[in-house]
Amino acid sequence: MGIKIDALKCTNCMACEMACGYHRDDGFAFLSACIVPYRAREKKDYFGVLLKEEDSLVVARPEGTEINRIGEEADPDKEADASAKPMLLREACDLCEDMKYGPMCVKICPVDAISVAE
Amino acid sequence: MEYLSNDKILVVDLAKGDVEEEELSEELVAERIGGAGVNARLYKEYADDDPIVLGVGLLTGSMYPASAASVLTAKSPVTGKLCHCPVTLKVGIEIKYAGFDYIVIKGRSDKPVYLWIHDGVADIADAADVWGKDVWETTDAWRKGVGDDLLQTMVIGPAGEKGLDCAQVCYNYWTGPDRFGIGKLFGQRNLKGMAFRGMGLLEAAEPEDFVDEAFELLEAVKGNAFMSKKGLGPICAALGEADAEEWLSPVVHRHSADYFTPYATNTFAFIDEDPAAVTETAKPEPGVLISDIPALLAFKKLGLSALDAAKAMQACARQGVDPMAAATAGEKGGKTSIDDILSQVAATTEPAAMEGNGVFSPWCPRKPIFGDFGASDTDAWWERRQAVAAIFGIQPVFAVMCPQLTEESMISLSNIGGELELDQETLDTVIGDIAG
Repeated sequence: MGIKIDALKCTNCMACEMACGYHRDDGFAFLSACIVPYRAREKKDYFGVLLKEEDSLVVARPEGTEINRIGEEADPDKEADASAKPMLLREACDLCEDMKYGPMCVKICPVDAISVAE
Repeated sequence: MEYLSNDKILVVDLAKGDVEEEELSEELVAERIGGAGVNARLYKEYADDDPIVLGVGLLTGSMYPASAASVLTAKSPVTGKLCHCPVTLKVGIEIKYAGFDYIVIKGRSDKPVYLWIHDGVADIADAADVWGKDVWETTDAWRKGVGDDLLQTMVIGPAGEKGLDCAQVCYNYWTGPDRFGIGKLFGQRNLKGMAFRGMGLLEAAEPEDFVDEAFELLEAVKGNAFMSKKGLGPICAALGEADAEEWLSPVVHRHSADYFTPYATNTFAFIDEDPAAVTETAKPEPGVLISDIPALLAFKKLGLSALDAAKAMQACARQGVDPMAAATAGEKGGKTSIDDILSQVAATTEPAAMEGNGVFSPWCPRKPIFGDFGASDTDAWWERRQAVAAIFGIQPVFAVMCPQLTEESMISLSNIGGELELDQETLDTVIGDIAG
């Protein structure tokens, strides 16, 4: 079971990041979220979603999802987004196992861009 | 104020070049709630300095749907009234997460400066290197300066520096709701803008109850038929501009939303790139983000194609000119070609005609979009709806779209999250005070 992201449906609203941050910190916060819309290419209108899993970093781009194994060298031609806390230092997705709603990012996404994949 | 807050009011004296912090008392929140309610009180407290006040809504940046907005309050040079201008996109929430609830700006700096607000620290920083630069160059310079592309900014362009009534405060790179000439007020104070970045934590008094009620509300919101749509085209159609959606479609790239706003109220138009492109474009500046529906329709009314309207909107964003003012000037001057209109943008001086009471921005369409609110007096309903959005921090366009975001739900979530005892009477009093 894992999280599936449709980056073309995404409207870059950051609700998933907030809900994940709430799961981590029991308050409203973004710092510890393991799911993060990337939004640094603002002038290009290019956005998608990053997800840190136990062994991989999922990069959901509009043109398709790429799964990078952590520890393997990233493609040097693909620029990474800056973030205040690097994605690889964050806790991996645990599918919100202790939350009554299940994965909070799935629950909160207003446009159903995030779902649980069996 | 312990919950939903940073408990901080910042008072900036540009003339002296210093900043002071005050606590945000629970008594003030209990009486004035937040956002424009508290801003108006702070304006009154510092009225001798005719300040600009920036404030977050009580629910801004929370898990209440569409809690995206903050609000700029100042005496408008256009209307002569105390006005409340929404701060949208992701700028509104960044203010709160950068560590402050309210910022009072008084005085005039003797040299160009900007406010750099980061993780509870406020600096008055030198802006000599960006004075004279346009909005895009300025945001780029500030982001590059701190090495963070997620820095959120409020910026004036050349129009604001010249002290023109048509000058806007822009957000990051884009034009926004400022029809009030707040950009002029920035320029008069030698204030190029503000930059925000922060990774704060906002506690709720009863977090689980807050989330339960917020999710229940979200489910009701998601039941609306409009949730199958995105962007400005369907909004134009809902406002009776049936052909605008088709007119706009050749330039539409993607639609995006302000923070946790269920409907994407922003549309990005590609100008010199194929709008159908899915992969990342190599063009550094391919188009423009549009949120100003009345201005877009005003350019359409001049006979422009959507591509040319997007070019005009982009030019306004760079110059920091209210696009509605530019479209109005174009109409008065009989301009119909894009070259004439692009020349007009930099030459615009007068503001657009104000609609409504001159307190809330007619950047937000002045009637219900999609939803039926059962209002008999649409003008009065709109003014009240904008007031409520400006107090609690709700994205203003979504506020006139979604009937489920009731005043009752905003009061309830504020009480649950903030350990408060707000009631309808308090809200009515604050609305009566700020709505002009």
